[in-house]
Amino acid sequence: MDTNKDNREGIGGMANPGRYGIERVAYWLMRLSGLGLLVYFIAHIYETSSILRGEVGWNELMAMTDTPEFHIVLIIVIGMCVFHTVNGIRVMLGHGGVGVGRPTRPDYPYAPASQNTRHKIAIYSAIVLAAIAMVYGSTVLFGV
Amino acid sequence: MALLYCLVYDMRESHIMKIHYGTALAAVGLVAVHILMRMADGYHQSLEFANVLANYQFVPYAGLLEIILILLSIHGFNGLRVILLELHQGHSYEKAVSYGCIAGMIGLIAYGSRTIVMANMGMI
Repeated sequence: MDTNKDNREGIGGMANPGRYGIERVAYWLMRLSGLGLLVYFIAHIYETSSILRGEVGWNELMAMTDTPEFHIVLIIVIGMCVFHTVNGIRVMLGHGGVGVGRPTRPDYPYAPASQNTRHKIAIYSAIVLAAIAMVYGSTVLFGV
Repeated sequence: MALLYCLVYDMRESHIMKIHYGTALAAVGLVAVHILMRMADGYHQSLEFANVLANYQFVPYAGLLEIILILLSIHGFNGLRVILLELHQGHSYEKAVSYGCIAGMIGLIAYGSRTIVMANMGMI
């Protein structure tokens, strides 16, 4: 029993992004981008409430946020938003049975049919689209 | 309170996930409109006080903001609940997470709605 406990990796084993391929990386990126977007959303609601402090209050906030550091944060938010959206659509389609393949007899090496090339391409596409959106966002924010 | 109890305990997880996905899809479309409104006037110009106030006082746009606020609050806090329940399980913990997320969701919607309503009515 003790040996079994020693072998148990717990959350660390489940969370290891170096294991199980790009699907586990996508799992982590989905959760991290979700949490990041929730934090941004709450900050955005607080930020926009400064309109109630009149023009002076609003301009003070704009002066505080119109900085290169904040623009970099916004570019990361754009990337998180695009990845979360595209990968979210992939997950929704997967849950609906789209692109997960037909059920087959489990033969060695027991490759899961749901983790197929179509889904891998979708994950890589989400990452590439997020990168493109970040580049576009930086041209808008920094006026390049 | 009874409604809250039903929301936390009586709703199947499959129904909650349908709401999660539904709010996500609706939010994607509406947030795209929200961002396009910023891009239409140029990013920096669209954030000028008069422009933003005019946006809030245009009732259809204020309605759009309110819908986005509700959709993203539900989606965001349910997502947080799912992540927290993946990490740890237990009756008290699950109850605390579910009630906490519902409280956060209601608080954020109330705070955001206050801004939208007051700006819309010119209470500045």
